[in-house]
Amino acid sequence: MTIIDLIIIIPILAAVAIGCGGSARVLALAAAWANLLLGLVVFVTLVAKGGDEMHFKSSWVLLHSPELTLGFAVDGMSGVLVLLTVIVTFCAVRVSSGDLGKGSGKLYYISLLLIAAGALGAFCATDLFFFYAFHELALIPTFLMIGIYGNGREKVATAWKITIYLGVGSLILLGGLIALYVSLSPPGAPTFDIAKLAPSPGEHPLSAEVQKWIFLPLLVGFGILVSLFPFHSWAAPAYAAAPTPVAMLHAGVLKKFGLYGMLRVAMPLLPEGFEAWKGLLLVLLLGNILYVGLVTISQRYLDRMIGNSSVMHMGYIFLGIACCNSIGWGGAVLMMFAHGISIALLFALCGSLRERLDTLEISRLGGLGGSMPFLAVTFGFAAFASIGLPGFANFASEITIFFAAFKDAGEMGILQVATILALWGVVISAVYMLRAYRSIFQGELIGERYPADLAQSMRLPVVLMIVILLLTGFFPNIILKLLPNLFEVL
Amino acid sequence: MIATGFAVTTLLLSVALGKSARRNKIKDSPYECGMLPIGESQPRFSVKFYLVAMLFVIFDIEVVFMYPWALTFRDFLARDQAAMVFWSMSGFVGILLVAYLYALKKGALSWES
Amino acid sequence: MLPYYLEICVVVLGSLMLCMELFAGRRSRAKIAMVGVAGLGVIFALLMFAVCSPGEDLQYWGIYHFDKWAAFYKGLALISTLLVLVMAREFAPVFKHYTSQDEEKSGIGEFYCLPIFVCSGLMWMASAKDLVTIFVSLELVTMGFYVLVAFMRRNVGSLEAGVKYLILGALSTGFLVYGIAWTFGVSGTFNLEELSVVLAGDDIPSAPVMFAFALLIAGIGFKIAVVPFQIWVPDVYQGAAMPVTAYLSVASKAAGFIVFLRVVDPFLAAPSIREPAIYLMVFVTCATLIYGNLAAIAQKNIKRLLAYSSIAHAGFLLMALPALGAAGTIAGPGPESAISFYLAGYLLMTLLCFLVLTVVRVATNGEDLTALEGLGKRSPFLAFAMLVGVASLAGIPLTVGFFGKFFLFNIAIQNAMQNGLWIVVFLAVLGAATGFYYYFKIIRAMYWEGSVSEGEVTGLKVGRLAMLAIILLVVAVFFFGIFPAPLLGLTL
Repeated sequence: MTIIDLIIIIPILAAVAIGCGGSARVLALAAAWANLLLGLVVFVTLVAKGGDEMHFKSSWVLLHSPELTLGFAVDGMSGVLVLLTVIVTFCAVRVSSGDLGKGSGKLYYISLLLIAAGALGAFCATDLFFFYAFHELALIPTFLMIGIYGNGREKVATAWKITIYLGVGSLILLGGLIALYVSLSPPGAPTFDIAKLAPSPGEHPLSAEVQKWIFLPLLVGFGILVSLFPFHSWAAPAYAAAPTPVAMLHAGVLKKFGLYGMLRVAMPLLPEGFEAWKGLLLVLLLGNILYVGLVTISQRYLDRMIGNSSVMHMGYIFLGIACCNSIGWGGAVLMMFAHGISIALLFALCGSLRERLDTLEISRLGGLGGSMPFLAVTFGFAAFASIGLPGFANFASEITIFFAAFKDAGEMGILQVATILALWGVVISAVYMLRAYRSIFQGELIGERYPADLAQSMRLPVVLMIVILLLTGFFPNIILKLLPNLFEVL
Repeated sequence: MIATGFAVTTLLLSVALGKSARRNKIKDSPYECGMLPIGESQPRFSVKFYLVAMLFVIFDIEVVFMYPWALTFRDFLARDQAAMVFWSMSGFVGILLVAYLYALKKGALSWES
Repeated sequence: MLPYYLEICVVVLGSLMLCMELFAGRRSRAKIAMVGVAGLGVIFALLMFAVCSPGEDLQYWGIYHFDKWAAFYKGLALISTLLVLVMAREFAPVFKHYTSQDEEKSGIGEFYCLPIFVCSGLMWMASAKDLVTIFVSLELVTMGFYVLVAFMRRNVGSLEAGVKYLILGALSTGFLVYGIAWTFGVSGTFNLEELSVVLAGDDIPSAPVMFAFALLIAGIGFKIAVVPFQIWVPDVYQGAAMPVTAYLSVASKAAGFIVFLRVVDPFLAAPSIREPAIYLMVFVTCATLIYGNLAAIAQKNIKRLLAYSSIAHAGFLLMALPALGAAGTIAGPGPESAISFYLAGYLLMTLLCFLVLTVVRVATNGEDLTALEGLGKRSPFLAFAMLVGVASLAGIPLTVGFFGKFFLFNIAIQNAMQNGLWIVVFLAVLGAATGFYYYFKIIRAMYWEGSVSEGEVTGLKVGRLAMLAIILLVVAVFFFGIFPAPLLGLTL
């Protein structure tokens, strides 16, 4: 049993222990701490050994025909995402203290841990089947969490919406994955092992036409899971209605599953399939950046605004993926990491604002900076990070992606045009973030109450996330170094 | 032409020849020279009759089943399969016996209860 | 030990229980169900260990086959009957309420015996490879169900269900006999293996064969509840007693499917009618998928909801059929294995749901979704068990239901890649997505709804045997959802 197996199994065991009557919060915190430490160990090991190969391999053969193995391993890319997951999980468990008005909280922590376990399993699986299966595992906990512990009058409708949306997305994805494994498996030996499915460089067994039609369900399936325009409408309401830790975990970590899938499965295995849909993807991601960006500006509630901004930033990551070179993909992975942390941070702060205030309507808030300076400062950091100011990891990743788009460009192609249009997105995010910040924290205090500042228990996770963002912002090479040679297939 | 003519002719003939006889109460009764019918045409029977009738039919059919068996028994004897044939019929009768005991014990055959 | 001794054992067990009911005293009479459970357990052990290896294909008198499928489906019949008896024991209070409080007059002893006889019919069905044998065993099963469905004689719903089942069942029997007659008329044989030889010939007129095929599908389709022969399902499922509903939806369907596979196989193997036969199957599949899933959405009664879901599951199972006879081209388990695996998984998860529902039914006297409200607080364990069952029915990964669906989709997609019938896959994806909605409705009722005041928070009473069964089923659903190999290995 390797360290990676441990990371995946610890949350599951903790969830079982809670179900059997253990003390919910203590066990959840213990699991989160353990995972955080183990995740750091994994990351340090990867830094030492390099991220080009798979480490910590483990596998149990479950079926021989088709070959099905419960196997886990990490390379640089999944290592980064594992680190992201353990950090966000840790913070999510830490911040979830005030949310528990109803019930004993057992179900709450069980669901939280299972969502984390699902994400970790999906990122580490070496097998197409379990890659998919672990992600689906998170579906029921999310449904329960939003339905039971969610906020707002629309939580019921929202819970249904996200469940149906993600369910449909997963099923379309499943169809694509089955078609993929059937057609790429070596003849006579069907297998789900992603490594064995990878075609040898230069000679792809499938014609461009076949690749094209297998790629489509993958793109749509992953796209729905990542809230690619026009399948994005589930995301913002769901994050607004979800309890804070779920919003953090889902927006920060689980949504990255689709992007990870694009990089791990769809792009390397079906390069020509991507070429066929490149134009479409570029249009859709511009929809994410520009259209959803404008939608974000017009939001009246803080939680919806943050949710929409998360949808918008998915567009940049898709852009990085669409660059189809190692710089762009490195930038995309870095952005997944940076966005994961910064959005979790924003949701954590937004959640604590919700606890203290009657409303999150931006125009009815103001002057909060005076009574809650700590929160105001940290929210400022988070907002700057989200905009992509230099010094934060978000900036490093965005700039990498934009450079990548022009890397081999002798002339202006659609990719370059799309990139130039996408640059305007930075302005858009600056507009909504700064406006919201000014309106909420500066100016005259609206209302009579002076809400309390951020609770002590929340400060550690918040500071931790800001430090990580700054650290990776100044030294993005910590992460980028793990990534460059991943994608030699192209 | 012929068909239509035939149809019309028969219809007319039946009107001409088929004069209905005189009607009265006696003529209309089911048995003109028998006993006068009394009561409803569909009287209620006790459900016990059905039970007995059903049991009769079941056991009757099962006995019918034994005839071909008895007839072919010699052939099987000649082919040295007597044991198989014997035991299968024993099983059949055994199940029948259990069913009979069941009916008996549950009072399906006692008229009084 | 000869395989057909198993059926004899089951019949002897049933007779024994009937004699107990007749002659034993009041105290030992209470143990009838236990005798049945123990007996079935022993017979299952005999099936596993004492009967020859199922690798061989044994034949007796040309009408009784014992191969791996037969062994597998016999096992399914035994296990489901066993669990149904456990459930019936739990259900006894409700049952007495609708019949008679007096033990003897309530007929509860017979209620335990009848499933045993039905089980022998199911086991015989699994071995039947001859149209006449199929018909006789099918009738044995159906007769038993006629009685079982209408058993709660003081409950109008149960009586209505009984009448519906009787009339429509008789109709489907008529179809089946007529189909068998046409098949015999065309081919001159009842034996399915000879039939496939005859049908493969060139000089077979395709129209009468197709007619016979359609009639046979109608007859057997009634048992496995495919559209358009599903009309009886919702009412009968709703009206019948909970254990009977479970038994109908699991055992009757499983046995129906093995017969269905065996009957359809020679027709699909015949080149002259393969294509129209497949189109007919695809039409039935699509209709079943659409109807089952859409109609389930609006249901408020859990049994009715599960009835429609059972129709939908039949639709998923039918997806694999066009792959029959096109052997050697499927990556992964073939259609028979996939269907068998799915049915085994379906047995586990459906019986799990019904066991929990039985407990809830006894405690709350309700069968609507509202009866489940607050179960998450009243009894976290039962709610969790139900959650597992429902998640598995919906096909959430790491449960056995997901692997079942996965294997079927695997076949359906490969079919579609060959013959271009993507409509089936498309409808199945939509259907599975719809399934999320109506299955999650149950989860929602258990966890979101219902504010239980402090005083009410008391656990529900669960019998020890039922508790054990629930735990085992939960474990099995997870176990086979992660390690499908042991179960799949039995069907390969």
